[in-house]
Amino acid sequence: MPPVIQAEQLTRRFGDVTAVNQVSLDVQAGSLFGLLGPNGSGKTTMIRMLTGQIRPTSGSARVLGMDVAAEPVAVREKVGIIPEQESPPSFLTAEEYLSFVAKVRRLDEGEERAGWWFDFLEFEEKRDVLCKDLSRGTRQKLMFAQAFLHRPVLALIDEPLINFDPVMQQKVKEYLREYVRDGGTIFISTHILEIAEEICTDVAILHLGNLVHAGPVAGILAGKKHLTGFFLEAVGKGADA
Amino acid sequence: MRDLFVAMMKEEWRVHSTMFGSVSFALFPVLIAAIARMGSVLLPYLADTIPGGLIGFLVHAMFLLMGAMVGGFGLLGREVMNRRFGQASLLAYSSRTLPLSDRRIFAAFVAKDTVYYLLLWVFPFLAGLALGTPLSGLPPSFVGLAALSLTLAFLTGLSTVFLLSTLYAHSVKLLAAVMGAGVLLAILLTGVGGMNPQFLFPPYALFRGWSVPLFLLSLGIITLFSAVSIQYLTAEFPDREKRFANRFGPLAGQLRGFRYAPLMAKDVLDLWRSGGLVGQTLFSFLLPMGIIWITLSVLGRIMPQAQILVTFAGVAGVIAATMYTWLTEFDTLGAYTFLPLGTADLIRSKFASFLLLQPITAVSVGGLAILTGNPGAALPATVLALSVAVYACGVMIFLTGLWPAVMVYSVRVFAASLLFTGPVLLGLIALSSVSLIYAFLSVFLFLPALLLIRLSFRRWETWERAFL
Repeated sequence: MPPVIQAEQLTRRFGDVTAVNQVSLDVQAGSLFGLLGPNGSGKTTMIRMLTGQIRPTSGSARVLGMDVAAEPVAVREKVGIIPEQESPPSFLTAEEYLSFVAKVRRLDEGEERAGWWFDFLEFEEKRDVLCKDLSRGTRQKLMFAQAFLHRPVLALIDEPLINFDPVMQQKVKEYLREYVRDGGTIFISTHILEIAEEICTDVAILHLGNLVHAGPVAGILAGKKHLTGFFLEAVGKGADA
Repeated sequence: MRDLFVAMMKEEWRVHSTMFGSVSFALFPVLIAAIARMGSVLLPYLADTIPGGLIGFLVHAMFLLMGAMVGGFGLLGREVMNRRFGQASLLAYSSRTLPLSDRRIFAAFVAKDTVYYLLLWVFPFLAGLALGTPLSGLPPSFVGLAALSLTLAFLTGLSTVFLLSTLYAHSVKLLAAVMGAGVLLAILLTGVGGMNPQFLFPPYALFRGWSVPLFLLSLGIITLFSAVSIQYLTAEFPDREKRFANRFGPLAGQLRGFRYAPLMAKDVLDLWRSGGLVGQTLFSFLLPMGIIWITLSVLGRIMPQAQILVTFAGVAGVIAATMYTWLTEFDTLGAYTFLPLGTADLIRSKFASFLLLQPITAVSVGGLAILTGNPGAALPATVLALSVAVYACGVMIFLTGLWPAVMVYSVRVFAASLLFTGPVLLGLIALSSVSLIYAFLSVFLFLPALLLIRLSFRRWETWERAFL
């Protein structure tokens, strides 16, 4: 089975700065893949390229068999995306926003699915609140719901748990594991290593835009190392290089 | 306090120069002065058709409004910037992170707004007025008095908004009670007490007739409002969460004939709930149109009424094209990049929403034709206004994509926009002035408009994915 994500020598420059430098990686179906790296390592740029939000300076990426640069809208039709910073539109209520997403994605059962998410993420009482008045945590819940509303086979999430309280973090982690068990694929970007160690099956480490490691988490842990120690070592290597 | 004031002044400058570009923004006071100088020169001619008292009142009302808008923008600045730049904050909102009290920060904020906008708007306007005196023949004493009364009018608007926001922060009921009491007092004083209504707006009364008590009253009101705002400031706002029943579904249903019904329904709700539909229609469309109509009316003695109407319709079309910016100011492209929508979809949907707003243009132009006793000109004038609006919108989309409010401050874009629309507009106005029937030729502008919009898809898709 071909990988669901294939990046080939993916590079992105912003002026003189090379945010991502010739990164090649494969993500297999059914994995919970963690893209790790310190602040400014190129994680968000990588996700934005993989979802067609920005075009690579050179190199290519295929997602679900489609060339992202050539067919960005078709890719976004199939995948779910939670960006790091973007918020839902200010002047729609939470319920209206999910209704908007359902209509844009042409979902027949949008209302029922939205109802399930309000219930699951425990923010039913915020249904009729304008998005601009929601707390960060609730906005994150809403963004989570919109990303999974169409039941995508692949979801790309930038910092998935950063605004959730510990109880909600646990619930969401369990959801992600179950999603992968059911055949879905998750690609997350995070710098919280404990989360990656707990839920990821595979990780890649970016440092200063370069890929310094890619492989299964089990392999790292089998070497009797914690992911944190391994990460620091890898980043140190990257820095030396 | 002094350091905070200086930092806030710098911050305000950077907000504006980031939005509009340093040079463009630095030239803004010069532009204000030039417009004021032109107005000053035209004043004797305007005074022939419009009573001098009315002109004076309108200018004072404009300064009052300007003060209120500055105050309002200051208080809503974070939200405005968040819409435009994503995450943003200001020193004024940092009381929880700086070792300074809310009151102290707010006092510096009031001082900053006062000084900054006096320098940016009020003083350049007064300088322009003064520079026009050799041609207008206005005595220096008149300019001196206008300088004082207009400054006081501006500060009255500013301090009133600060007071109202402080009251609102305590309780909406308190705000309603104070406003109700104010209206009641005004009715009692003018209706029962027989007071001249101009004294309700002391800066204007001062302009009409200088007196020390009126000057002290104007100053006293500003001082009182500012002092109460600072003294009773609270950072806790009531009713922070706004709740609404689901209007999106029914609205999208009503628009289901359109390909981009969900996006259009969102645009309508954005405009409506932000207060933008009423506010923008009033201040960005009807107010400029009113000013243009008054200015054109001055030419009534040398131009036939129908010709004035045609000129007005053409200019109204250009102003109507700016409705496209109303629709784009709520969105950053990022809010759509995780949905299966391309740049072309967004441009098409915004253009469809723009068309949805055009009854405002049609009613304004057609209505004015009928009200001014030219019912026969209503249809050609309306067709001309709508065609120019669609064409100018097409030009704007081609030149600025989904970023009109930012890109329009680029000198290159501004010049290209003038080149695209200027000759076409002048040609159509000239032709329609010969015979109103030629106004119908303007419908052919739909073709280049649609072509420009089509060309803009690839142009902006490439730009956005390369630079964002």
